[in-house]
Amino acid sequence: MSVSLQQSSASAVLEARRAHNDKLARKADQARAVWFPLTLLALLSLLPLLQLSGNYNYVLHIVLFTASYVAMASSWNILGGFTGYVSLGHAVFFAIGGYFSGMILARFGISTIVTAPVAGLVAAIAGYLIGRITLNVRGPSFIISSIALLMIARILFDNWAFIGGANGVTLPVNSLSAQWAKVPYYYAMLAIAAVTVWVSYRIKHSKFGLGLRAISKDEVKAESAGIDTRFYKVLAFALSAFFVGMTGAVWGEYLTYLRPNIFLIILVSANLVLMCILGGKGTIAGPVIGAILIVALNELFVATMGASELNILGTGLVMALGLIFFPLGLVGTLARRGKLPRVLNWD
Amino acid sequence: MSELLQVTNITAGYGDGPAILDGAHLTVEPGKVHCIIGPNGAGKSTLLKAICGMLTIRKGDVVFKGKRLNGLRPDQILRAGICFVPQERALFPKMTVRENLRMGGFVLDDQRELERRIGEILERFPILKERADQQAGTMSGGQQQTLAMARTLIIKPDIVMLDEPSLGLAPKVVQEMFDIMKMMSAEGVTVLLVEQNALIGLKNSDWGVVLDLGRTLFEGPASTVLSDPRIQELYLGGKKAA
Amino acid sequence: MTDIIQILILGLALGGVIALMGSGLALVFGVMRIVNLAHPSLIIAGAYIAYWGAKLTGIDPIVMLPVAAAIMAGIGVLMYRLVFEREARNAKYSEMTVLLTFALAMIVEGVLGGLFTNTQRVTSPGYATDAFFLGDLFIPKGQLYAGLISLVIIGALSLFLKYSRLGYAIRATTQNREAAELLGVNVNLISVLAFAIGIGLAGAAGSLVSFVFSFFPAKHWEWIAMLMSVVVLGGMGSILGTVVAALLLSVIAAFVGTWVGATWSTMTFFLALFVILLIRPQGLFGEKPEMA
Ligand SMILES: Nc1ncnc2c1ncn2[C@@H]1O[C@H](COP(=O)(O)OP(=O)(O)O)[C@@H](O)[C@H]1O
Ligand SMILES: [Mg+2]
Repeated sequence: MSVSLQQSSASAVLEARRAHNDKLARKADQARAVWFPLTLLALLSLLPLLQLSGNYNYVLHIVLFTASYVAMASSWNILGGFTGYVSLGHAVFFAIGGYFSGMILARFGISTIVTAPVAGLVAAIAGYLIGRITLNVRGPSFIISSIALLMIARILFDNWAFIGGANGVTLPVNSLSAQWAKVPYYYAMLAIAAVTVWVSYRIKHSKFGLGLRAISKDEVKAESAGIDTRFYKVLAFALSAFFVGMTGAVWGEYLTYLRPNIFLIILVSANLVLMCILGGKGTIAGPVIGAILIVALNELFVATMGASELNILGTGLVMALGLIFFPLGLVGTLARRGKLPRVLNWD
Repeated sequence: MSELLQVTNITAGYGDGPAILDGAHLTVEPGKVHCIIGPNGAGKSTLLKAICGMLTIRKGDVVFKGKRLNGLRPDQILRAGICFVPQERALFPKMTVRENLRMGGFVLDDQRELERRIGEILERFPILKERADQQAGTMSGGQQQTLAMARTLIIKPDIVMLDEPSLGLAPKVVQEMFDIMKMMSAEGVTVLLVEQNALIGLKNSDWGVVLDLGRTLFEGPASTVLSDPRIQELYLGGKKAA
Repeated sequence: MTDIIQILILGLALGGVIALMGSGLALVFGVMRIVNLAHPSLIIAGAYIAYWGAKLTGIDPIVMLPVAAAIMAGIGVLMYRLVFEREARNAKYSEMTVLLTFALAMIVEGVLGGLFTNTQRVTSPGYATDAFFLGDLFIPKGQLYAGLISLVIIGALSLFLKYSRLGYAIRATTQNREAAELLGVNVNLISVLAFAIGIGLAGAAGSLVSFVFSFFPAKHWEWIAMLMSVVVLGGMGSILGTVVAALLLSVIAAFVGTWVGATWSTMTFFLALFVILLIRPQGLFGEKPEMA
């Protein structure tokens, strides 16, 4: 028998690893295209000028609708994308925000655009309290608890006479002409979306965001590394409820009514998850791209097929195919292959 | 050369991940106790998994009684006569001892014969007989390991591969496990063992194999391995400890 | 006193049905470690099979039970082959798998909605509106039959798991997949089988449900949390536990429904789930924190 104890060249391995890390860091630094979302935002804020030359209400509606989902999906991403806690109950915060500001509008005539931050705060407090309970568990347990939360909220809202029960509440319509009626909500929603994306960007690049991602990788290790995981998770949950609540507030007045079967349905939650998965969970551009894709797809479905039963079928199909073939989402998959176009690199 | 199992220069890994084993070889002779030693992460468990068909072998050969085993499923390799007890938790904790033994003979078709062999095993291991209708998960670590080893005997295999049977056991119990192994070997069952504690492992074996970084560095009589100064220094803590 | 016995009887009968609804979920989780959020939607699919059987041919939903079970078992095999086979290979749990079952639930709901519209349905065999009277007590025949049949099916399932060779293999795979494979169990085949039985049980439950509850395609969202609370309280994967939990929660729900109000009776199950979450911080399924 031969004995061939070659000294494994440990130093060579270390050297190679260092070179590899350097290369990765250089790649990540390759100027991210922050200018792109900013330009997009500037262009979109000029869009209402179109109304001077005709009626482009449909265009405004689509952008507003997309912006609302951009805000909510990016918000969901703070919890679901960064920490890996998948919530299917975020429609609850949408409803809390919508009903809080909506009821103030109905009683005192104060526009929800004004009270939206407070609505966000109320949703965040609810998120904080709920998170204290449900964030004790993870994985499938957490997902199921979030569905149960939605069911509980639905029963409560359906049976609470003060907020109109299952019939909901009709909200006063603003006094602007049809031409300009959508514009305030347009700007409000655009602003909420922009702020949400910006906040999620700031979170991702903060120590807090680093902690959240550590939690998603290995919670025990994160904890032993000195991260207060419990506080981090609950804070992420509250933050992600905040922007969904704000969106709900503005959406209620835009819609001119509040009703549990609009706000408290699983499809709203499912859409947020779907957008993040399709775009790329945990990335900044992912939820934005996902929201645009899904809204476009939705319009296509509704335009070609109409029926709402097919809507849920389409959503399910797209989600299943996305999960099977692109579990990392569009942005994630392209980035993994090193083919992410610079305009989509906002991280 | 009367080898029972011959592993030549195999390359293997998990899924389409990197090759964990690259250039591992091994000779197993009938009736002897063989011990694979090496540091944590060397690929010892991976080698056993590759032999028993849980991993795809990318290069090299595993030849057993003159037949190539490459590409066979674990159940086919089991039927061929190689039984593997993986590291930790090899039992069905919520099944009784008897049910666990019955699972040990899952590949047997003759149920009468199976019951007869279970009876035999229970006679030979009084501790198991005592607890035949107790849930396996409620027994002590040593008893569980005894059951895991006894269970392999149901199908009367040629080779039993044991991955760190002494893990988490008290020293006195560890010696009992080695005694069972010797008994198995005396009955003609060939044992292939992975052992963290190289010293105890080699002392109780006939043949030693040193594995590191996925390669076989040395293979030879256990006494030779034990006395080789370089191996003592690297794997037995020889000089450092002294 | 009669009141209490009356409520108890109604709760137990419904509990039997709920146990059957949950048992397939428990089995699939046990063997595959898959939390199948699509399970309730498949129960509804089974209910539609019974409904159309009754409507088109006048066949009794109880007679349709084996048919619904067989069809759904076939669908289970198809689902396994198309979707879960690849998931089964990576032993590691991923929330992606749960989301995949969630997507499947939406697909099933969408298909059912497209085929049968969102109208509430119920099959109405004669016994569904009939009852036995014992003194002051009344026992609705439909619920009684459904509950008893459910318990018989679960009993048969338990015997199968306990004594048959395949039952051994299923239990072994549930407890230690790797060890079972090493002992010669074809775990892939066992997974398909468990899936087929699990989804078949959904079909069987569906045909009983069809005359006990009214149903429509989106109804399953209410059931998922209800069934989860039952399966979880029953110790995840344990069939006997599932039965006990179903009977217990269903009886409590019956009392809540009578004394507090019908809308609040389902709340019992949801709240039970939260209570379990509070007192079992290690998670419903004992998941380890590093599972991501
Ligand atoms: N299931 C697995 N998937 C991927 N890599 C693995 C797996 N199990 C072990 N490895 C890797 O294979 C290498 C060797 O592991 P192993 O064979 O368990 O070592 P040993 O048993 O000698 O301690 C380690 O680097 C480990 O990270
Ligand atoms: Mg090992």
